[in-house]
Amino acid sequence: MVRAALVTATSMALTGAVVAHAYLLKHQFYPTVVYLTKSSPSMAVLYIQAFVLVFLLGKIMRKVFFGQLRAAEMEHLIERSWYAVTETCLAFTVFRDDFSPRFVALFTLLLFLKCFHWLAEDRVDFMERSPNISWVFHLRVLSLLGLLAVMDFLFVNHACHSIITRGASVQLVFGFEYAILLTMILTTFIKYVLHTVDLQSENPWDNKAVYMLYTELFTGFIKVLLYIAFMTIMIKVHTFPLFAIRPMYLAMRQFKKAVTDAIMSRRAIRNMNTLYPDATPEDLQASDNVCIICREEMVTGAKKLPCNHIFHSSCLRSWFQRQQTCPTCRMDVLRASNNNQAQAPAPAPAPAAPANAPAAPAPNVAPGMLPGFPPGVFPFWGPFPAVPPPAAAAPPAAPAAADAPPSSTDTTQAAGTSQPTSSAADAATSSAAAAAPGSAIPGFPFSFPPPPFPAAPWLPMPPPPPFVSSMPPPPPSLSRLTEEELRELEAEGRRGLEARLQCLQNIHTLLDAAMLNIHHYLSTVATLAPPRPEGGAAEAGGANREAASAGAESPATERDSSTSDPVGGATVSSQPADSTSSASDAERKENWDEGAADDENGEPSAAELRRRRLRKLETSPSSPTSPSPPPDN
Amino acid sequence: MAGTALKRLMAEYKHDDPISPSVCSPGPANEENFFEWEALIMGPEDTCFEGGVFPAILSFPSDYPLSPPKMRFTCDMFHPNIYPDGRVCISILHAPGDDPMGYESSAERWSPVQSVEKILLSVVSMLAEPNDESGANVDASKMWREDREQFYKLAQKIVRKSLGL
Ligand SMILES: [Zn+2]
Ligand SMILES: [Zn+2]
Repeated sequence: MVRAALVTATSMALTGAVVAHAYLLKHQFYPTVVYLTKSSPSMAVLYIQAFVLVFLLGKIMRKVFFGQLRAAEMEHLIERSWYAVTETCLAFTVFRDDFSPRFVALFTLLLFLKCFHWLAEDRVDFMERSPNISWVFHLRVLSLLGLLAVMDFLFVNHACHSIITRGASVQLVFGFEYAILLTMILTTFIKYVLHTVDLQSENPWDNKAVYMLYTELFTGFIKVLLYIAFMTIMIKVHTFPLFAIRPMYLAMRQFKKAVTDAIMSRRAIRNMNTLYPDATPEDLQASDNVCIICREEMVTGAKKLPCNHIFHSSCLRSWFQRQQTCPTCRMDVLRASNNNQAQAPAPAPAPAAPANAPAAPAPNVAPGMLPGFPPGVFPFWGPFPAVPPPAAAAPPAAPAAADAPPSSTDTTQAAGTSQPTSSAADAATSSAAAAAPGSAIPGFPFSFPPPPFPAAPWLPMPPPPPFVSSMPPPPPSLSRLTEEELRELEAEGRRGLEARLQCLQNIHTLLDAAMLNIHHYLSTVATLAPPRPEGGAAEAGGANREAASAGAESPATERDSSTSDPVGGATVSSQPADSTSSASDAERKENWDEGAADDENGEPSAAELRRRRLRKLETSPSSPTSPSPPPDN
Repeated sequence: MAGTALKRLMAEYKHDDPISPSVCSPGPANEENFFEWEALIMGPEDTCFEGGVFPAILSFPSDYPLSPPKMRFTCDMFHPNIYPDGRVCISILHAPGDDPMGYESSAERWSPVQSVEKILLSVVSMLAEPNDESGANVDASKMWREDREQFYKLAQKIVRKSLGL
């Protein structure tokens, strides 16, 4: 402050001395002026004096329009001024041909006015922060904005006129700069109006933020257009305007931000209106009734998120504009709602099946269970009706295979838990996985004998255990699963989702196949056991031979039913079933041979043990769907 | 009707339960501007900053509480998570998505649930347990890791300085 006064005083004294000196030399007004303009030192002094005067004028204007500046405003002003001065210097280099005192004066004036624009902007922003706004404030802001707008307009007009009459010159820069300042005034004014309206009303104005956003968007767009036009013209007429790069970049960034904000805001509003229910008075009473965002009581207009946290809808909306998470628990609300909507068909059965499998294998085995499944859920359902004949025809293998069903359910469970994660893998894996169950399912009934059964159909499964670790058992941590899943989903989009759906359905099919398998098994045992409870290995071997003859019919039957299947996940499912059913013929034969060999050499006691175990499993009477034994049995 | 940010700040100011013995009544520096608060942080006991009284300024953005405030110590500080100019760098003061140090999980980031009170408590615990991974002050984190004794000496010097000794 003291230093400023000192500088002012010195420059005043110097100017006085220089002018006095010139006048003493020339004694007349005109020669004195000529002398002063010709002498460089005097001109330097006069320039300095001019700057000091501008500075003083600025101080006076500041006192009039702003009163005391706040620290933040001052800081902001100084920072922006430095950039502006640098850019002005850069501009000088472009227009060094036009360099003249008048030119310097114009740039100084521009800088001077810019400072006031910035201050006005800051001051209007401050309205949001101050608890009480006096009428003096309004008067100051309005008069300043009016004055600046008029000056900007005059300068733009002047520049246009000069460009039209005398062609492109440095006036281009001025015209452009003042046009930018004019848009800035426009923004500030709209904001001022919005703030004023908000201050007048007693209730919170929910839509203010939206209006602010669109103001930014609109003026940002004008600014970007102006900058682009300016760049193009400058490059054509003069040279690349280096000095405009930074402000242009800033303007574009601001515009981009405004656009994203607008999009986010729209999305937030839409989600608010469609996805989340209004909190009921009971909800409000159950919670502590205070909106955690604004710390005020919620009476009406509260929304409840899927995580049961309640907020003012206006508070929530402005938060969702930034982030789509619950402010309290950080649950990703968009993700949660997406899952509810888009994945509804898939995840609903998905957690259910693996949950069922480990928890209650016995009920699954129960024959009555099977028809309970909705038919549409499993596209692979089709081939199954075809399966019974060969399966039932395999009773001789049954004793030997008594181990197989438990182990196969185990594998199914493992597959069941690993599949959903593997489903998150890329389309290739999932389509491969989709193919795998296809091959596995028809293979099922024929791979009865213990050793090949777990090995043959299950090993080719492409998504092996590694996936298991990445996903915990689905239902308890479903939120985590979906988060991972969604990340993939965003990357892959719809295709991934569809593949995943397919995959999940396959898992069901697998689980189902396992159940069916057990089921067949039980039914065959049921038909086998009563007549000869103490059946030995030799009998088993004999029955095995019967199975071979029955199995020969199977491919035909299977194909029939898979094509004529009314449920028909048909287009997808019947094909792999067909192709693999023929492929499994060879496999089947091997299995029979092995199974037969096993049985014939096996110990009767082991077979008996297995049979007892099975009888224990068989708690309920044989089901209606249980395949009737083939005619030749 | 005043802005949301202002209302919330006033609510936080009026709700002046004693926060913790480590923090001295935070509040606006002047009643005209509720967006600049002053607070005094006491050096937590049994740490190298014990006994110190550190003044700090909290500056709130106009969209508070959607965006976090900034906090700056106005006295000399030497700490791994405080920039040499006094700015505090802890995760609670960063909005999710902006991560100058790249070490923080979004769980501990800013959200409107946080408050001045929680910020100040986090700062106190930061004084007690520096996080030398997110080094706002590289020298300090290096010294904290490698030469704890020297760090204690410097911290004690700062404590004395903060008390005007
Ligand atoms: Zn609220
Ligand atoms: Zn929540």
